Amino acid sequence: MAPSLRPGKQRWQGLGRLAPWLLLLTGLLLVRFSKGAGFVDAYALLTRPFWPGPAQREWVEAAVDLEQRARLTLLEQDNQRLRGLLELQQRGETGRDVAAAVISRRPRDWWQQLELSRGALDGIAKDDAVLGPGGLLGRVASVTPATARVKLLTAPGHSIGVWLPRSRHHGLLVGTGTTRPELRFIVRDPDVRPGDLVSTSPASTLLPPNLPVAVVQSVDDQAVPLSKAVVQLIAAPEAIDWVQVRTR
Amino acid sequence: MVPMATLATPPWLGLDGIPPCWVVLWLLPWALVDGPISGALAGAALGLVLDGLTSDGLTLVPALLGLGWWWGRIGRRASPVQRSFNLGLLALLGTAMLGLTLLLQLLIAGGGVLEPSLWAWGLHTLACQTLVTGVLAPMLVSLQMLFWRRRVPI
Repeated sequence: MAPSLRPGKQRWQGLGRLAPWLLLLTGLLLVRFSKGAGFVDAYALLTRPFWPGPAQREWVEAAVDLEQRARLTLLEQDNQRLRGLLELQQRGETGRDVAAAVISRRPRDWWQQLELSRGALDGIAKDDAVLGPGGLLGRVASVTPATARVKLLTAPGHSIGVWLPRSRHHGLLVGTGTTRPELRFIVRDPDVRPGDLVSTSPASTLLPPNLPVAVVQSVDDQAVPLSKAVVQLIAAPEAIDWVQVRTR
Repeated sequence: MVPMATLATPPWLGLDGIPPCWVVLWLLPWALVDGPISGALAGAALGLVLDGLTSDGLTLVPALLGLGWWWGRIGRRASPVQRSFNLGLLALLGTAMLGLTLLLQLLIAGGGVLEPSLWAWGLHTLACQTLVTGVLAPMLVSLQMLFWRRRVPI
């Protein structure tokens, strides 16, 4: 190549020779300041076939599961001890759960009830709590030797006392016939928000304590005489085939 | 039959999950074929059984007794009622009356006042049950009337 007449070109050529090294340096600096991003990613890609297999993940998950169950047991024991100290009733913890199939379902009729496949012979009695996956469904209204009839929480006029764990207020859950019962408060300013959990009262004597029941959907602050809320039940009676009856 | 159907109604057979009123669908052909006395007796008997299947204080007996009597008189007096439209209309009216007596009982139990949410629910249930019973009636009731007529020729 013929030498150029322009003096600046020489300098650029020198730079051109340096350029690869400069690029390498920039690359290294990038790696340094990104905490080794590219390298680790490449490493991960290359070593993917040697990663710990699903078996190991299952072990870890099983261990976590076991740990949580153990913690739950410990907390339950602790809770029982504390409740004993407070001399609260122990029914919820000592009661036996009887699994029963739903043999007839009338959740949207004039009468909102379920018929269960177990009855007095299995130790079920009137007013026992009936639980579905997720929480309380209703209470046993009557029993025959082999069946039990459950009055759902959604039944019009069916009311139970409930508790809002976040704001520590009591309320009255009243069925209105629809899938969304009404929560009436006893105090003027109940401090309740949509999304709040509604459970049975920790000091409940009629129902097992601390059972999840529903989630607050909307709050009507303007209602007279006291504010009301609409809640969504956690356990849906339309879709449940098996329930647990907590006998006393 | 009627209590079993009432217990075993699948959730899809109904309007918005509200099942048809099986007792009306059974009592209508029976009373039309068998006369007022038998209709009223059958209505009362079924009412008692169905009251046993529910846990509340609401009762179906007076409404069913009245309906059985009324349909029996219609069956005896007028020319035989057998067109599907007439059967559907009778079932529709019967279910509406049955529902209204239940609402009335709720109203009385509430001391003459019913909450707005309960009103909405009651009217919704009434409308859905009336409609679905009226829709099913022409088919089921005419089949049963054929059956009863064959057993008890007029």
